[in-house]
Amino acid sequence: MQKLVIIGAGMATGRMLEHLFEAAPDAYEVTVFNAEPRGNYNRIMLSPVLSGEKSYEEIVTHDDAWYADNRVTCRFGEPVVGIDRAARMVRTETDEVAYDKLVLGTGSAPFIIPVPGRDLPGVVAYRDLDDTNAMISASEAAGARAVVIGGGLLGLEAAAGLRLRGMEVTVIHLAGHLMERQLDPAAGYLLQKDLESRGITMLTGASTKAILGHDRAEAVLLEDGTTIGADLVVMAVGIRPETRLATDTGLEVARGVEVDARMRTSDPAIHAVGECVEFDGQLFGLVAPLYDQAKVLADTLMEREGDGFAARQLSTKLKVTGCDLFSAGDFADGPGREDIVFRDPARGIYKRLVIEDDRLVGAVMYGDTADGNWFFGLIKDGTDISQMRETLIFGPAYQGGSAADPLAAVAALPPEAEVCGCNGVCKGQIVEAIADGAGDLGQIKAKTKASASCGSCTGLVEQILACELGDDFQMPSSQPVCGCTDLTHEDVRRLIKARELKSQPAVWQELGWTTPNGCHVCRPAVNFYLLADWPLDYDDDPQSRFVNERNHANIQKDGTYSVMPRMWGGLTNAEELRAIADAAEKYGGELKVTGGQRIDILGVKKEDLPDIWADLNAVGMVSGHAYTKGLRTVKSCVGTDWCRFGTQDSTGLAVKLEKRLWGSWTPHKVKLGVSGCPRNCAEATCKDVGVICVDSGYQIGVGGAAGMDLKEIQRLHEAKTEEETVEWIVAFVQLYRENAKYLDRPYKWIAKVGLDWVIETLSVDAGRAGLVERFDLSQSVYQKDPWAERATPETKRHYEPLADLTLEAAE
Amino acid sequence: METAFDTPLPIERSARTFIEVAEIWVPENGRLVMSSGAYGTLDGFADVSSAESFAKGEGLPGRAWAEARPVVLTQFDGTGFKRTEAAREAGLTSAVAVPLFAGATLKAVLVVLCADSDGRTGAIEVWAETDGILCLDNGYYGAAVQFGEVSRRTSFARGQGLPGGVWSSRTPMLLRDLGSGHGFVRGESAGAAGLTTGLGLPVPVPGGKNYVLTLLSAPGTPLARRFEIWDARAARVGHERAAKLVDGICDREGPLWDPENAGRERRVNAWQGTVGQVLGTGLPVVESGTDAAGYASMVALPIHRGGELAHIVAWYF
Repeated sequence: MQKLVIIGAGMATGRMLEHLFEAAPDAYEVTVFNAEPRGNYNRIMLSPVLSGEKSYEEIVTHDDAWYADNRVTCRFGEPVVGIDRAARMVRTETDEVAYDKLVLGTGSAPFIIPVPGRDLPGVVAYRDLDDTNAMISASEAAGARAVVIGGGLLGLEAAAGLRLRGMEVTVIHLAGHLMERQLDPAAGYLLQKDLESRGITMLTGASTKAILGHDRAEAVLLEDGTTIGADLVVMAVGIRPETRLATDTGLEVARGVEVDARMRTSDPAIHAVGECVEFDGQLFGLVAPLYDQAKVLADTLMEREGDGFAARQLSTKLKVTGCDLFSAGDFADGPGREDIVFRDPARGIYKRLVIEDDRLVGAVMYGDTADGNWFFGLIKDGTDISQMRETLIFGPAYQGGSAADPLAAVAALPPEAEVCGCNGVCKGQIVEAIADGAGDLGQIKAKTKASASCGSCTGLVEQILACELGDDFQMPSSQPVCGCTDLTHEDVRRLIKARELKSQPAVWQELGWTTPNGCHVCRPAVNFYLLADWPLDYDDDPQSRFVNERNHANIQKDGTYSVMPRMWGGLTNAEELRAIADAAEKYGGELKVTGGQRIDILGVKKEDLPDIWADLNAVGMVSGHAYTKGLRTVKSCVGTDWCRFGTQDSTGLAVKLEKRLWGSWTPHKVKLGVSGCPRNCAEATCKDVGVICVDSGYQIGVGGAAGMDLKEIQRLHEAKTEEETVEWIVAFVQLYRENAKYLDRPYKWIAKVGLDWVIETLSVDAGRAGLVERFDLSQSVYQKDPWAERATPETKRHYEPLADLTLEAAE
Repeated sequence: METAFDTPLPIERSARTFIEVAEIWVPENGRLVMSSGAYGTLDGFADVSSAESFAKGEGLPGRAWAEARPVVLTQFDGTGFKRTEAAREAGLTSAVAVPLFAGATLKAVLVVLCADSDGRTGAIEVWAETDGILCLDNGYYGAAVQFGEVSRRTSFARGQGLPGGVWSSRTPMLLRDLGSGHGFVRGESAGAAGLTTGLGLPVPVPGGKNYVLTLLSAPGTPLARRFEIWDARAARVGHERAAKLVDGICDREGPLWDPENAGRERRVNAWQGTVGQVLGTGLPVVESGTDAAGYASMVALPIHRGGELAHIVAWYF
């Protein structure tokens, strides 16, 4: 009988033996070596063992009796240290065993990130039962803290398990959202929300710098300087094929042990299977292809013909109780690809299908995975879905019939189904109210309170009205933000505040966006709303800005840029003028004095921007933000310093206002003017905010314009002092920031809300103080010179010449 | 897809089970009436019970209905329990009533009754949320007196331990090896008491207050010999009325879950077997004899979420 030696008692070799013994039980005399002191167990179920939802005994796939029944010589706990291919012998520390056929099933080794402290006791990988038991032991200390490095499948399962065991758990993840290889940002957002609701702290976009501790791990230090206390550090950042034996014995090894489609290595007597192999440039970490390999290898060992191994599409599931996600195929954005998106914010459901050439190529779903396998089948089979495209997202139950009625789902809701979560209103109560005569949303609100709080169920309530009243109900027709949503800007702003939505994925999901991540219309608006409402929680997204705001310079019609340094209140000095002149000469720029009392350097090449900014920064000049939806200029006259008619220090006030307001993002650009007397040399009466100084104080007006529309300012307030003037103007700007629709100038916004409401709101001392406080809080984040941040050698490469002529220059 | 049918095995009767009686009361014309019950050899108590009904607020089932919360009685005198005399004669000393709501609608009340005797170990606990923490509302522990004492001093945050895990996932959970590897004093004490297996389930009630029911079992006096958790959410099984056996263990069959984690769980459709009956009616069932998968009795409870039947938990004893 031929001698078959197997190195590694893992899931792939175990399944291979099952096939072998089933078909040819007497073909080989089998010896299995395993570095672990145990036989084969279901490694993919280690996470439930960690969480306590399974016992080790339950996941043992081949027990001692099975090995005995199949006459397998078990050499468990005995690592193989070398292979002598010429003599066909494997060597352990104490013995040598001959083989006719050898199978490498050495699996994979966890990747340990090369940071200081990685070797400290208390740092564990997550690969086998011993690692699992080490984590379980660590959880036994009351109040123990765990840091899991890696927010992938394994890391999150570890985190959930350790939390269930009672630990305080933090997950550190380098990418911007969890499981970024399997999920898109929207699904990643829902997963994060779900895990955070279990008390797990999630840090995305976080990079580990070191593991700190003396005799054992005590904390994890992040690149941003944050330190997180830890009694246990779990490294779950990935795996790599365990190839040392293969390499040492001279087999062909790339990233893994190279095999052909029959699982043969470069030595005809040696085969390999499982996570240690590389086939056709691919590595394998999920169990499904490993089982396919096992079947092929069993056939090969029995010298049977059959289909060779072929890599196939894979799907992913997370083994955390209550987290339902499914991911399969490729869901990256790309030319020619289309998305179908379904969201049900109330039930936390997100589904996205990616279609290319009438074929489904990717599917991501969270919260409702019932149709996952059906979609997976369509992906694997390359089915032409053109005939079912309209109803595809609703799954197999809707195929073969008529197009889905969007109201059918609402009609099917049982009377006890909760519609308004805020006020606990069920569908039945709404239907009763309609039967009692309520015919529109306002009457439903009055009778039942449904939709009367956060308003996110408004659409559902309207659909119930439509179901019950039929043609007697007219859906309100307000202008939505864009084609991604039915909500208006005002709805979105209100819901971002009421629902405390603090990220773009949160907005897309919780407000039921019909696209995966918005479009060029809604993204800049939502980006502004989020940063205006949550300055400390939300990170500005440059990719959601127009090109000029991304580049911090206005592109001109010839593809060059204009550079406009800030001149506070229109004041400058000889040193600044020399620097501007030198810069113009050095970079070939032309100079223009603008209507906003500053000097524009025109014709600068994109690649020169960081250098010219550095030169201007050197004399203390900062960006004039001539390209932003934000504060532009504060124009002034010479005031009492020089003018015979000046009543107040208009220049000084303009400088104070500009220094207070610069850097703030606003719904549209904001221009100010301060005139020292009613002769109005600074033309303050056509600015967004204009101040006319008079003997008795300062007349503050708002809502002026001198562009496509010509508007004179309207009186907001008459202040006695400069301080009072600044306070009112800051409060007004913040009120505008918090309430206006994106791309509405102040005069348009005031026309909508009414000047009386603005005055009434700002006249309340506490309210005004709150607005000022919130403005200053926002400025603590955003009042910074973007030029200084980008005038570094590292950022220069971002300014390669890439012209985008789709936008006209602003200012 | 494997389809699960009730397995025709010989009925096993444990001499010493933790729960003596399980009964289901359902609302009918404004009163709770008997739907089904498992009384073992306690025929006298069964007779009294079958003739009984409860108005809202009356007796233990009526109280659970009126208060919209699980109620634990560790003694009967002075509690409004209506069948005190019959219970005393049957040796029953404690009871737990669990209201089963779908939204604001009461579907049924489960009542279990236990008998005190030395060495009978197990626990039935009700955990309630207060200020973002789950604390023990009340519990019955049999002989596990010290474990009961420790539990009364224990609280759980979201995601922690069996109660915290059930609370945060809104999903029933089945934990093994309760006595090892938990950062809770309670875990150590559970090990000392011999409690090894824990079934936790959310108890949804109108008003949004969070309750979790836990059943902890010891091998010597098992609360159950087989536990099952079925997922019946449309989001998991599709639009058919069906359920998948997502977790379970059985003294005889061992693990009941899909070892491949590949979506090949056992599945039942509505009206198929006892679990299918729960699926079809949305009502709980107590069975004895041949319908209990080879055990003496079984309890199958529906758990509703947002008006939908979400899960079914079953235990066999």
